[in-house]
Amino acid sequence: MKLIIDAMSGDNAPEAIVSGCVMAAREFGQEYILVGKEDTIRGLLEKEKAADLPISVYNADDVIDMHDDPATAVRRKKDASMSVALRLLRDGEGDAMISAGNTGALLSGATLVVKRVKGIRRAALPPMLPCKSGHVLLVDAGANTECTPEYLLQFAYMGSFYMEKVMGVKSPRVGLVNNGSEDTKGDPLRKEAYQLLKEAGDAGRINFVGNVEGSDVPKGACDVAVTDGFTGNVMLKTVEGVASFLMGEIKNLFLTNTRTKLAYLLVKPAMGGLKKLLSTSEVGGAPFLGISRPVFKAHGSSDARAIRSAVKQAMDFVNADVVGEIERNIDHMTL
Amino acid sequence: MVFEKVCNILSEQFGVDAGSLNMDTAFIEDLGADSLDVVELMMSIEEEFDVGEISEEEAAGMKTIGDLVRRIGDDD
Repeated sequence: MKLIIDAMSGDNAPEAIVSGCVMAAREFGQEYILVGKEDTIRGLLEKEKAADLPISVYNADDVIDMHDDPATAVRRKKDASMSVALRLLRDGEGDAMISAGNTGALLSGATLVVKRVKGIRRAALPPMLPCKSGHVLLVDAGANTECTPEYLLQFAYMGSFYMEKVMGVKSPRVGLVNNGSEDTKGDPLRKEAYQLLKEAGDAGRINFVGNVEGSDVPKGACDVAVTDGFTGNVMLKTVEGVASFLMGEIKNLFLTNTRTKLAYLLVKPAMGGLKKLLSTSEVGGAPFLGISRPVFKAHGSSDARAIRSAVKQAMDFVNADVVGEIERNIDHMTL
Repeated sequence: MVFEKVCNILSEQFGVDAGSLNMDTAFIEDLGADSLDVVELMMSIEEEFDVGEISEEEAAGMKTIGDLVRRIGDDD
């Protein structure tokens, strides 16, 4: 397998990207193409003593940053590392592409250059959120702020395929995020989507468990939480904020006096597990579901470890052939 | 001929029946296109017809299928 990595995009690029790629190459093998300023990348590879690893470098002189207009960035900046990496993927030079850059630009670029699976109306960006039963896939979490019922139906299918094929969840439970669990709840979008998801569930194509409220999602009520990108983004940011707030409060609690500090020593291993559960580095990235070849968005603030995790996820995504599964089921996913 | 080809591209991109489209069909108002849809449409048109690169300013000025057909007709 060959993975194409945009080396120049992200808060900690290119150092963390190159370092994460080296980490992945040492741990997982495989071949890699780092795309970006060749001299800089070669210098970093030298520092990492990575001469013996199967990592090649493809030069790209420009970079798409967070200030570029997402819809037109890839079209305007044809020599940017992200644009070049996407074209390499489109042309079959690799099996997956990973970038920690501008999310909107990556979505637009993937749509315009690599293209969606025929019949898919919109690609979705589904991060994994920690929950009581492990992880829940939130689809969509920001790529599509305005959705139709058909988009939500497609998100449900794609999320279900991802959880089953990549995460190994048997018959993933699909929930529709709503303002109440009763069948009749929600605005027109949610009501229409409910009917479509119910029909798909009744036909045995997905395991639809009905409406779920925001508070049910962290409790593990479903494995795939389907929502429009606007609501999904608010949910995602709220969960991240609450997790960060709680971790801070717990830390403060343990620092209160000597007794609580001693107590911390006793629970330290368990705290490590909790921190790991809530860490974005452990998850690494999210795929754009619906694009005709695997494109992965790594967290913008990814460190080397998060890039390594994103590489692992991209490999799992390729091996599971989620794109093929979407293509094979597209007739059920369109109205 | 250009009109039919444009309708086929739009039908595929927006999932609408090509027969329901006419010269007055507006991309944003009637098809619900957003900024990414418009860029995607322009790129598809550039690939299908020999019209060179359609600038963002030009694209912003084209609101309907008729506007697009006339632009292609000028060059094609």
